[in-house]
Amino acid sequence: MKLAIKLLLIVVLGFTSTVILAAASDKAAQDAIAAADQARKKAASVKGEWRDTGKIIKQAEQTRKKGDFDKAIKLANKAERQGKYGYEQAMSQQTLKMPSYLKY
Amino acid sequence: MKKILVKTKIQKLTACLLLAGMAFTAVSSVFASPEQDRKSIIEYFETRFVGIPLSEYANGVYAYDTVGRESWEAIEEFPPYEIAIEKGQTMWETPFANGKTYKDCFPDGPAFADQYPRWDKKQAKVVTLPLAINQCREANGEKPLKYKKGSINDILAYIAYESRGKKTHVVIPEGEPGALAAYEDGKKFFFTRRGQLNFSCATCHIQNAGNRIRSDNLSPALGHTTHFPVYRSKWGAVGTLHRRFTGCNKQVRAKPFKAQGEEYRNLEYFLTYLSNGLELNGPGSRK
Amino acid sequence: MVKTIRGLTLSGVAMLLTTALMLPAIQTHAADAVKGSNIEQGKELAFSRKKGNCLACHMIKDGVSPGNIAPPLVMMKSRFPDKNVLRAQIWDASKRNPETAMPLFGKYEVLTESELDKVTDFIYSL
Ligand code: HEC
Ligand code: HEC
Repeated sequence: MKLAIKLLLIVVLGFTSTVILAAASDKAAQDAIAAADQARKKAASVKGEWRDTGKIIKQAEQTRKKGDFDKAIKLANKAERQGKYGYEQAMSQQTLKMPSYLKY
Repeated sequence: MKKILVKTKIQKLTACLLLAGMAFTAVSSVFASPEQDRKSIIEYFETRFVGIPLSEYANGVYAYDTVGRESWEAIEEFPPYEIAIEKGQTMWETPFANGKTYKDCFPDGPAFADQYPRWDKKQAKVVTLPLAINQCREANGEKPLKYKKGSINDILAYIAYESRGKKTHVVIPEGEPGALAAYEDGKKFFFTRRGQLNFSCATCHIQNAGNRIRSDNLSPALGHTTHFPVYRSKWGAVGTLHRRFTGCNKQVRAKPFKAQGEEYRNLEYFLTYLSNGLELNGPGSRK
Repeated sequence: MVKTIRGLTLSGVAMLLTTALMLPAIQTHAADAVKGSNIEQGKELAFSRKKGNCLACHMIKDGVSPGNIAPPLVMMKSRFPDKNVLRAQIWDASKRNPETAMPLFGKYEVLTESELDKVTDFIYSL
C-alpha cells in the first residue's frame, strides 16, 4: 500500500518534470513561429512571398499544438528562411534589369 | 597604303558607332518606351522563329508547335467553349433586377473587348474587362461575379466571340503619368524572378519560348492575351486570364496575387500592350 | 536519509523513462534514411517532380519525356572533372550564368544539403 503510493508519487513527479521541460520548448516553438510569420510578412511587403511559406507556418502551429515542439521549431525555421530568401530575392531586383537577350 | 588607311578610318568609325550604340542601349534599356519594348520583343521572336509572320502569334504556341497544332485545329472544329458563349449571350440579353442590361453600361457592346484593358483616369487605375463587368453589375444592384472560375467566363466568352476580328490596341495615354507607371509596374512584374524556383514570366515565355519544359511547349508572350477566356482541357472549363496568371505563379512556387488586384491588372496592361495589332480570336482552347 | 536518496533516484529514473517514451515520436524520420545507394537515391531525387525535377529541362539517361530547355546531362566527369564544381552548379546555377533558367537548388533549399550530395553523386556517375 505505502509502496504503491510512493511509486505513484514518483511517476507523477517524473511526469510533471518532463512536462515542465517540455513547456520551455513550447515557448521556444511559439517564438520560432512568430519569427517565421514576421519573415513571411516582410517578404510579402515587397511582393516576394513564396507559395508554401504560409502552409509551413500552419503546419508548424499544428505540430506545436500536438506537443511536438522540436519538429514545430524545425518547420518554423524553414518557413523563416523562406521568408528571408523571398525578401532578398525581391530586393535584389528592386531596379529592373532587362535581360541581355532583348536588344534595344 | 591608301587602302589600309581607309580601312582604319572605317574601323574607327564603326568603333565610334558601336560605342555610341552601346551607350544608347545602356540608356534605352532603362528608359525604354512601351513602343521600344514591344518592338524589341517582336524582333526577338522574329529572330528566334524565322519566317513566322507576326499575325500568327495570335495563335499562341501553335504559331510554332506544328504537332500540337493539328489536334488543336481538330478541337476547334467542335469548340468546347461553345456552351459558354451561348450562356453568355443569355446573360447579356437578360435584364438585371432593375430592368437595365449590360448594354446600358457598354453601349458599344457586345463587340467591345478591344477597348480593354484601359487606363481609367477617374479611378486612376487600369480597368480590365472583367472588372468593368463587375462594376456594371454592382452599379445595377447585382452581385459581382468571381474572377477566376464560373459564370464570369460565360459573359467574357460571349463578348470575346462577338469581338473576334478586332485588333488589340492598348493605349497608354500621353500626359497620364499614372498610366505609364502602371505599364512599367506590369513590365517589372513580368521580368522579376519569383518563387522558390526563381523564374520570371520572361524566363519561360520569352527566353525559353518554343522549348519544352517536360512535354509542354512554351508559348510566346507575344499573343498571350488575344484569346481569353480560354477553355483548357486541364481545367475542363473556360477560365480567365488571371486564373492562368495564378497557375503560372504557383508552378514556380510563388504565392499568387489576387485576381483583379493591382499586380495582375498592371501585368495584363503590359502583356496586352505587347500584342498590339494582333487580332482578337477569343474564346480559345488550349491543352 | 537513505530513503529520500533512493526516492530521488527512482524519480529521476521515472523522469528519464517518461522522456524516453516521448522520444520515438520525435525521431520517426530517422528511420527512412537507409534504402539504396547514394547514386540510386540521387537518381530518384533527380527524377522526382516534387524534388529535383531535372527532367523538366534536361535529358538524362533512363528519364521519360524530358524537356529540352537545357543541355543533356551526359559525360559529366569530363564536363566537370571536379565534383565540387558540379555540386556548385546544382547548388546555385546563377553564379555561372546570372540569367540562368535553372532553379537554385541549394541556395533556395529546393533540395536539402544531403539530398544535393546524392543528386551530385548521381549526376557525376552519368
Ligand atoms: C516555369 C515556366 C513558366 C513560367 C515561369 C510562367 N509560365 Fe505561363 N505557362 C507555362 C506553361 C507550361 C503554360 C502552358 C503552355 C503554354 O501555353 O505555354 C503557360 C501558359 C501561360 C499562358 C496561357 C497561354 C495560352 O496560349 O493560353 C499565359 C497567359 C501565361 N502562361 C502567362 C504567364 C505569366 C504572366 C507568367 C508570369 C507571372 C508566366 N506565365 C510564368 C509556363 C510558365
Ligand atoms: C527549369 C530548367 C532546369 C531545371 C529544372 C534544371 N536545370 Fe540544370 N540547367 C538548366 C539550364 C538552362 C542550364 C544551362 C546553363 C545555364 O543557363 O545556367 C543548366 C545547366 C546544368 C548543368 C551544367 C551542364 C553543363 O554541361 O554545363 C548541370 C550539371 C545541371 N544543369 C544539373 C541539373 C540538375 C542536377 C537538375 C535537377 C536537380 C537540374 N539541372 C535542373 C536548366 C534547368
